[in-house]
Amino acid sequence: MARIVRRRHTNDPTVYLSGIHSIQKDARTGPQCTLVRPRSPLATTSRYTRTVAILLEAQDLTKHYGNTVALEAASFQIHEGVTGLLGPNGAGKSTTIKLFLGLIRPTSGSARVLGEEPYETIEGRTRLGYMPEYEALPSSVTASEFLMHMAQVSGLPPAQARTRAADTLRHVGLDEERYRHIGEYSTGMKQRVKLAQALVHDPILVLLDEPTAGLDPGGREEMLGLIRRTGREFGISMVLSTHLMGDIERTADRVIVLEDGRVAQEGAVTQFTQETEDLHIEVDDHRDEVIAALVKRGLTVKEQGVVIVVERAHEAVYDAIRDAVAEVDARLRRLAPHRHTLAELFQDRKTHAPAG
Amino acid sequence: MHLQGEVYNLGYQRYDGPREGRSRARRAIFENGVRTVLGIGRGPRAKILPALLFLGAIIPALTFVIILSVAGPAADFLPGPADYYQVVSIILLLFGAISAPELLCPDRRDKVIHLYLVRPLTPTDYVVGRFLAFFVIVLALAYSGQVILQVGLVLSASDPWEYIRDNWADIPRFLGAGVLVALFITTVPLAAAAFTDRRAYAASFVIGLFIITTGMADALTSTEHCREAASGRDGSTRMVCEDGGEAVTGDAAKWFSLISIRDVPLRINDMIFDNETDAPSAKAAAELHDSISITWYALFTAGPMLLVWLRYRRIRE
Repeated sequence: MARIVRRRHTNDPTVYLSGIHSIQKDARTGPQCTLVRPRSPLATTSRYTRTVAILLEAQDLTKHYGNTVALEAASFQIHEGVTGLLGPNGAGKSTTIKLFLGLIRPTSGSARVLGEEPYETIEGRTRLGYMPEYEALPSSVTASEFLMHMAQVSGLPPAQARTRAADTLRHVGLDEERYRHIGEYSTGMKQRVKLAQALVHDPILVLLDEPTAGLDPGGREEMLGLIRRTGREFGISMVLSTHLMGDIERTADRVIVLEDGRVAQEGAVTQFTQETEDLHIEVDDHRDEVIAALVKRGLTVKEQGVVIVVERAHEAVYDAIRDAVAEVDARLRRLAPHRHTLAELFQDRKTHAPAG
Repeated sequence: MHLQGEVYNLGYQRYDGPREGRSRARRAIFENGVRTVLGIGRGPRAKILPALLFLGAIIPALTFVIILSVAGPAADFLPGPADYYQVVSIILLLFGAISAPELLCPDRRDKVIHLYLVRPLTPTDYVVGRFLAFFVIVLALAYSGQVILQVGLVLSASDPWEYIRDNWADIPRFLGAGVLVALFITTVPLAAAAFTDRRAYAASFVIGLFIITTGMADALTSTEHCREAASGRDGSTRMVCEDGGEAVTGDAAKWFSLISIRDVPLRINDMIFDNETDAPSAKAAAELHDSISITWYALFTAGPMLLVWLRYRRIRE
């Protein structure tokens, strides 16, 4: 994976690698590479280490537009890591993000970012990144020029802004095209520039509003990969809003589900999927007997075509299945855990929700 | 031998360098404003218009200097420093009308403004940065012709030292008048640009405003092609014109001529240079008390600035 690159215009013997974070070369023992996980930026930024444990906090956050309720008494906290804001269109995701950024004021309640009110924290915004849902890009400048400018608007001196612009554009895969005007870019490339401008000043926290909107399946996959990599490898906390559950599954550690401006559910993504793990069983013969033996052992069993589904599997279930299969002397073809996708979970929840 | 190596990840890296916060952000908005107006960092098409208008602002000065160098002191019919801002006022206004919207409209239309507002910057910082950027360019545009003219006048004089001794006061005058003219050219077009997302609308509005108001003032107060006619029993006179209309004269004419917005900064220029204007629309107003001209000027600069500030103060909502 590590790619050795020699930096041009220099004679120093340093080896440049991508993917490896530290290396020591010793003449006697040869080069020794150590993979070092980057520390969380929160840990390196003393100003925030002391004061901020929670990155974002909403308390009874409410926003009305005239008679329309965009968000109603939403209370939640967002910690380090990648958090998904999931909900259908009009659930209040963009409103929530804009409230945290101070782009709109709440009707009541409070939204705090890095421990401060977003309206008041002018200097605090130096460590915040935002990728909006809409295009929000100037068409007549090059991506390089735009990123350099945005880095400076975030407080970086010009020389550093230049380096950061080049590095960030390389990170999002726009190295070759960085001197082309943004107006000539495809939708996918524009999305990457939007992500790059949110990262160029190395923020602690990035808020991404529908980052995969308008992308084809390939572009979407690449964008999600980029978000996941940025969050995991560099420890930058991210909040992404989306109506696509797949986006959350691929990227997020935690999820907050919004519905009609209210927090419907929240928790770890794995909690949503793992706790509801099923077991899929396929047997070559004695299918009905196997089902009867499973039911006899107190398991909840469902049939899905040829597959016997044992719901809500836990450790002891495996033994029960083994015993049941042995008891009727059936030939076991497949026994596999099946983790629900978030889509299936919410589909189930909706189907079983009481009317009204 | 022990070699100590360093590893640079050529992709994304964490940044531990200096962060200069709001002061750098303000500077960036100003510098980007200057680059935007001049078309730097943009395609060749974006550079054509500012280049042409810059040429337009200095060509009169170059022409005068060439004539002066050929004709020498005989060319005293040429406009001097006192008249130069009036000569280039149309070019300056065109520049203002066309370039000012470039600074504000696309940011709002493309919603790039939201990317600014989530950075260490207030809406006021943004507006002040854009305003200063445009003001500095208009001022440079206004000064460039004057500087060429001054140099030409000094060099073409039979005794340059004597010329400087006699006319040194022109220098602070053109510097001062330049600031006031540039301020005026900056505020009105920026205010227009603050209220529409379409550059063409803002530019048309400003050009239309200047043409129409000057035309109205001229039409109402010009006494050209008019003759004096006795009026009524009180023996007063009125100006009857060839087209059958009647020119507004007397005190009313002075007030009517204030309508001409283009002449607002030029009257201040004339006051600074102690100059007499030739423009028909401004002639009558020049007879008004200086304080009225000054108040009128203050209204047309502070007013638009206030409008821009009010517009951007609530941009977050």
